[in-house]
Amino acid sequence: MQTEATLAQSDVSELDLVKRCQTGDTEAFDELVTRYRTRVFGMIYNMVHSEQDAWDLAQESFLKAWKSIGRFRGQSSFYTWIYRIVMNVTIDWLRKKQIKGGGAEFDDAIQLKEIDPASKTVPKTEALPHQAMERDEIRARIEKAIAQLSPEHRAVILMKEIDEMQYHEIAEALGCSIGTVMSRLFYARKKLQSLLRDVYENV
Amino acid sequence: MKTFEEKWTAWLDDQLSERELAEFEASLRDKAAAQAEKAEAKKLGELLKRELKAHPLKNEEFFSHQLRETIVQESGEQPRERARRSPMSSWWTIPRLLWAGTASLAVFLICTVLVTHQERPTEESQYLTQILNARVDPVVSPNATVSIFEVKQDRVTVLWTEGLQSLPADYAAK
Repeated sequence: MQTEATLAQSDVSELDLVKRCQTGDTEAFDELVTRYRTRVFGMIYNMVHSEQDAWDLAQESFLKAWKSIGRFRGQSSFYTWIYRIVMNVTIDWLRKKQIKGGGAEFDDAIQLKEIDPASKTVPKTEALPHQAMERDEIRARIEKAIAQLSPEHRAVILMKEIDEMQYHEIAEALGCSIGTVMSRLFYARKKLQSLLRDVYENV
Repeated sequence: MKTFEEKWTAWLDDQLSERELAEFEASLRDKAAAQAEKAEAKKLGELLKRELKAHPLKNEEFFSHQLRETIVQESGEQPRERARRSPMSSWWTIPRLLWAGTASLAVFLICTVLVTHQERPTEESQYLTQILNARVDPVVSPNATVSIFEVKQDRVTVLWTEGLQSLPADYAAK
């Protein structure tokens, strides 16, 4: 996460960029996209576990952000605002997928097949083949465990643990109370602890 | 009032104030087990952070390019879509309808005033005809003369009589 000083600096210029976007400046929006595309994509990927879907959902999220940037009043930081859009788009998509697939999202067998065994989280040069394989297996276990959480529980645990967001920021991004965020974190952690205990105890 | 789940989460994330921490830890039946679970939760957090952090976005520039293209396409289509959907609605807006209504009413009023204006001299003219057609009895006033002056613009008609011996009681311009 950013330090307070860098956050303040980036917030000032970010606000300028937002103001320019509100006058229809697409170059300013391009700059905002460049700043957040990796974080947004990474967050969505961890929610949906598919590069193609994550790409499409990130595109849809940014497009929605562009269309509604006129309504951004600067009461929260831009990244909290964009996260709210990202979460709405992704959670909606996950719900629809669950309905269409009749809960296939949480089917262990299908989930395992869907995970690309060749997916890499680190460059090849940094790990030996057996290490890379081991990491792939660990990652597959984690993704499988996360897939068993509801979209809302996935969102809170990823925003808290990966993006290190504060409770109030998560609450703002999800449009719920801080108490709800804390309660969801409690159940998400309990579930993941029971599913991944052997992984984090042995790694 | 925080629920147990909220307090537990705040405790795991070291978000409790000193007083809350003391109260919460005092309420725990098995503090050692709770501490062990807290350590597990920390391990879980570290595992997630390490394994899920920063899934790379390949072709970042293409991502931005594709988004730019979509934005341009959408912003180009929107006005055209709007125009195609309702070609008349762009002209017949409510303010314009109001203006058109007011203007029509004004034209109607002007026409009405003009028409009534033109009709009044005609009415006077009919009255004048009656006067002209009237006769002064030659037996009673053989030298009598009747002159009529009319100013149409001022709607004034003056009947000037001379040489009348007397004006019969039943006299009227007929």
